[in-house]
Amino acid sequence: MFHKRKRFYIIYYTIITIFAFVMIYPLLWLFASSFKPHAEIFQYMTSLIPKNFTLENYIEGWKGFGGITFATFFKNSFILATGVTVGIVLSSSMIAYGLARIPFPGRNFWFTCVMLTLMLPGQVQMIPRYILFFKLGWVNSFKPLIVPAFFGGAFFIFLIMQFIRGIPLELDESASIDGAGRFSIFWHIILPNIKPALITSTIFAFYWTWDDFMGPLLYLNKPQLYPVALALKNFADPTTITNWGAIFAMSILSLIPIFFIFIFFQKYMETGIATTGIRG
Amino acid sequence: MFRLTKKKKHDLLAGYFFVSPWILGFLIFIIFPILASLFLSFTKYDILSSPKFIGLENWKRMFLEDRRFLNATKATLKYVIFAVPARLLFAFIVALILNLSEHKIIRLYRAIYYVPSLVGGSVAVAVMWRQIFGLDGLVNFIMEKILGMSRIIWLGDPKTAIWTLILLAMWQFGSPMLIFLAGLKQIPESLYEAASIDGATFWPQLFKITIPMLSPVIFFNLVMQTIGGFMVFTQAYIITGGAPLDTTLFYALYIYQKGFRDYDMGYASAMAWFLLVIIAIITFILFKTSGRWVYYEAERGR
Amino acid sequence: MKRFIKIYILIFLLVFLFLSSNYSAEVINLRVSWWGSQTRHNATLKVIELFEKKYPNIKITPEYTAWSDYWTKLNTQAAAQNLPDVIQHDYQYITEWVTRGLLLPLDDLIAKKIINLSDVAPQYIQPGIIKGKTYGINLGVNALGLVYDPELFKKAGVPLPKTDWTWDDFKNTVIQLNKKLGIYGVEGFTGQIECFKIWLIENGQWLYSEDGKNLGFDEETFTKWWKMMLELEDANAVPSIAVDVSRTGLGVEDQFIVKQKSAMSLAWSNQLIAISRAANRPLKMALFPRISKTAKSGSYLKASMFFSINAQTKYPKEAGMFIDFFTNSIEANKILAAERGVPISKKIQAFLKPQLTPAQKEAFDFIKLVEKYGSPTPPPDVPRHAEVSNNVIGPIWEQIRYKQISLDKAFAQLKSQAEKILQRQ
Repeated sequence: MFHKRKRFYIIYYTIITIFAFVMIYPLLWLFASSFKPHAEIFQYMTSLIPKNFTLENYIEGWKGFGGITFATFFKNSFILATGVTVGIVLSSSMIAYGLARIPFPGRNFWFTCVMLTLMLPGQVQMIPRYILFFKLGWVNSFKPLIVPAFFGGAFFIFLIMQFIRGIPLELDESASIDGAGRFSIFWHIILPNIKPALITSTIFAFYWTWDDFMGPLLYLNKPQLYPVALALKNFADPTTITNWGAIFAMSILSLIPIFFIFIFFQKYMETGIATTGIRG
Repeated sequence: MFRLTKKKKHDLLAGYFFVSPWILGFLIFIIFPILASLFLSFTKYDILSSPKFIGLENWKRMFLEDRRFLNATKATLKYVIFAVPARLLFAFIVALILNLSEHKIIRLYRAIYYVPSLVGGSVAVAVMWRQIFGLDGLVNFIMEKILGMSRIIWLGDPKTAIWTLILLAMWQFGSPMLIFLAGLKQIPESLYEAASIDGATFWPQLFKITIPMLSPVIFFNLVMQTIGGFMVFTQAYIITGGAPLDTTLFYALYIYQKGFRDYDMGYASAMAWFLLVIIAIITFILFKTSGRWVYYEAERGR
Repeated sequence: MKRFIKIYILIFLLVFLFLSSNYSAEVINLRVSWWGSQTRHNATLKVIELFEKKYPNIKITPEYTAWSDYWTKLNTQAAAQNLPDVIQHDYQYITEWVTRGLLLPLDDLIAKKIINLSDVAPQYIQPGIIKGKTYGINLGVNALGLVYDPELFKKAGVPLPKTDWTWDDFKNTVIQLNKKLGIYGVEGFTGQIECFKIWLIENGQWLYSEDGKNLGFDEETFTKWWKMMLELEDANAVPSIAVDVSRTGLGVEDQFIVKQKSAMSLAWSNQLIAISRAANRPLKMALFPRISKTAKSGSYLKASMFFSINAQTKYPKEAGMFIDFFTNSIEANKILAAERGVPISKKIQAFLKPQLTPAQKEAFDFIKLVEKYGSPTPPPDVPRHAEVSNNVIGPIWEQIRYKQISLDKAFAQLKSQAEKILQRQ
C-alpha cells in the first residue's frame, strides 16, 4: 500500500513539474531578460542566463520619469486595487445574496440587467462614461475608478450567486426558525460558507484593477497619480527610444505584490467547508 | 394587484435592500453610457463634433458593404470556437489534478499555473510572446534544432497568426482554473467519504459527485468564458494589431479601431450593439439549457 | 517730522503692496500635453521647470502619455470639451481638428510676436498652415529618407547613393547589396505607404484629388510602383511581408540595419539619431531616388509634430508664450537636444550645430539637402484619409504583398472602395 502511494506521487509530481516549467518558461525569460543589458535582450533570444548580469534596468526603471519614481506608481496601484477590491467584494456579495436567496418581484429583471451589462463592449461606452464623470467633476482623481466598485460588479455578482446556490436551503431555514433575520443569515450563514468564492473574487478584483491601464489613462491627468500599469506604457514608444529592459524590470516588480496576495489568500482556501453537520 | 402577504412584503423590502447598491449604481453610472451608445449607433459621430442622426445607415453599411466586418466576425468566431473550450478543459483538468494532493507544496504549483494569467495585458507580455514566436524565437529554435523542421513565421503567416493568440489564451487558463478550485473546495468531504465506503473509485466519484456538485461553477465558467471570448481585445491590441490580413482582427479590436482611429464612433456603436444581441442570444440559450445539467444544492428536491 | 516719515513709510508700504499684488496676479494654470517616452518626458519636464522659473505666475500641468494611447485620451477629452491648452499635434490628424474648429488660429499671436517666428524660414512654417491659417507650430523639421551604412556598401563594392540617384540606381543598389552580402538591401520600404506618396509627388500626382472626393493617381503610376517593389520582394532583397508583420511594434533600435542584417533602412531624419546610437557606428542618410536625373527628389520637409492651441483656451497669450519659449529659448533647446527633429529657429540651429554628435549633424545636413533638392511640402491629408488609409489602402497593400490579388484587380478595388468612402456624406 505504501509504495503504491509513493510511486503515484513520484509520477504525479514529475508530470506537474514538467508542465509547470513549460507554463513558466516565458516568465523565466522575462525575468532573466530584466537582468540583461539592452543590447543583449534581443540578441540571445532563448538564453535564460544573462551573459552580462546587470541591475541597471531596475535602477534606471525605478527612476520612472519626471522625477516620479516607481515608489509613487506602486503606491497608487495599491490604493486603487485595495479600494476597488474592498468595494466590489462587499457590495457584490450583498447583491448576490439578494438575487440568489430572496424571492422578490423584479428579481429576474435585475438579474438579466446584471448579465446584460457584461455583454456590451466597453470601447463604445468609454466616451459617454467620460463625459458623465467630467460633468460630475471627478476627472483627474481616483473617484471614477473606485467609487463605482462599491455598487457591485456583474462578474462577481454572478460568481457569488452560483456559490450561494450550492449551499443547502436547510441552513437558512434552520437559522430562520431560530429567529435570525435576512441580514443575520447573510452574515453568519452564507458568507462563511462561500469563503472560496470570496477569496477568488478578492484575488480577481485586485489583479484586474492592478493591471488596468485604460481607466487610469482616461481619468488621471497628473502623472503623480499614475498606477504601475499606466506608467509602464509610458516607457514604450516605438517612434522614439523604447527602454525594454526597464519595462521588463518594472513588470517583474509589478508581478510580485499580486503573487504574494495570491499566495497569502490561498491559505484561506485550504480550509474546506464543514457542512457535514446538517444531516444530523 | 395581488395582495402581498406579510412574508412577501418582507421579502420585497429585503430583496430591494440587498440589491439596492446595484440599482443605484446602475442608474447613476451605467445606464447613461449604455443608452448613449445605442443612440450613437444611429448617428454619424466623429467624436470631435456633435453626432448627426443618420438612421439605419451604419447598420446597412455594416451588414451589406463592410468586408472587414466579415473578417472580424470570422476571426472572433474562430477564436471562440477553439480557445474557449480548450481553456475550460485545461482549467478543469488541472484544477482536478492539483486538488489530488494535500501537501503544502501544491500551493506553489497552483501559484505557478496561475501566474501566466497575472501578466494579462501588459506590454511585457506582448514583447515576450512576440519573441517566443519570432523568427529566431524559442518555438522556431525548438523546431529547427530539436525537431529538424523548417522555421515558420508564426506572426506573419495568415494561417498561423491567430493560433499564437489562441495559444496565449490557453496559456492563461489560470483564472477559470482558480474558480474551479474554489468550487472543488466547497464540495463536502463527507460525500466522498460516504462514496468510498460504498466502494466507488475515482471515475464514478468524478461523475457522480464532483461534476454534479461542481456544475454551478462549470456553468459560470462556461458562460463567462464564452462572453469573454466574444469580447477578446487586449492581446490582439498589443501583440498583432489585427494583422496579418485581418486574421487576428477581433471584433472588439475592430470596434476600437473604428471608433478611435477612423473617427467613426457611430458605426462602432452599431457594431457593439450587434455583438450584444448575439452574445445575449447565446447566453440565453445557455441559461435555458442549463436546467438539464446544472445541479443546485439549494434547489434539491424542487 | 517723525510722524511725517512714518506716514510716508506707511503710504509707501501700501502702494508697494498694492503694486506687488498686481504683479503676483492670479496664478495661471496651463495644461500642456505631449506624447513620447522616457527621454522626451524627462527633457520636456525640465524645460517646463525653466519656463515656470522665468514666468512665476504661470503654473504648468503636464499631461503626457505614450504615442499608442495619446489619441485615445485626447479624443475622449475633446468629446467632453476638456482639452488641454497646449496640445502636441500630428500631421495625420491636424486637418480633422482644424475643420471642426478645435484649434486656435495662431496668426494673431505670430503677428504680435508673442510667438516670435522672425528668424524661422518660411518653408518650416508652411507645414502648419491649413486652409490659409497657421494652426500648428513646427516642433522639429524632419524628412523621410534612406539611412545607409557606408561600410557595408564598401564591403559589397557597391557605389554609395548619390544625391541625384534614380529609381533604377536604387533598384540595382538594393539587388546588388543583397547578392554580394546576403543581407537585405533595404528594410521597411516596400510596404510603406509614405514611400508611395513620395513616388506620387515625383510623378506630379497625389493620393487624392483637389476636392478630396476621388483618388489622385492613375493606374499606370500605381502599377509602375508595384512592379518595382515586387521585383525587389521576389528577389528576396527586402524583407517579405510575413517578416515585416511579425516584427511590428519593435522600436527603431531593433531594426535589421542595427544588426547589419540590412544595408539600408527607411527612416525619418530624427530617427537617425536613435538608430545610429543603437548601431554604434556611423550611418548616413540619402535622399529618395528620383524618376530622372533632372527631376526633383520626392523627399519633402515635414513637421515631425506641432504644438497647437485649444480653440477654447482661457489663456491664449500664455499658451503662445510657452510655445515661443519652446521654439526660441536657447537653454530650453539645449535640454531638448533636437530630439523632436531639427529646431526651426535659425538662431537655435546655429547654436546647436557645434555641439552636435555626428549622427545629429548628419540629420541636420540631410534637412539641408532636402531643402535644396527636395520637393515642396504637399497639402495635409484630407479628413477621410484615416479611414481610407486604414481600411482600404492598408489591406490592399497587404493583399498585394501576400500575392493574394493581381495588380489590376487591386487598383480597381482600391479606386472603388476609396471613392465610396471619400464620397460618402
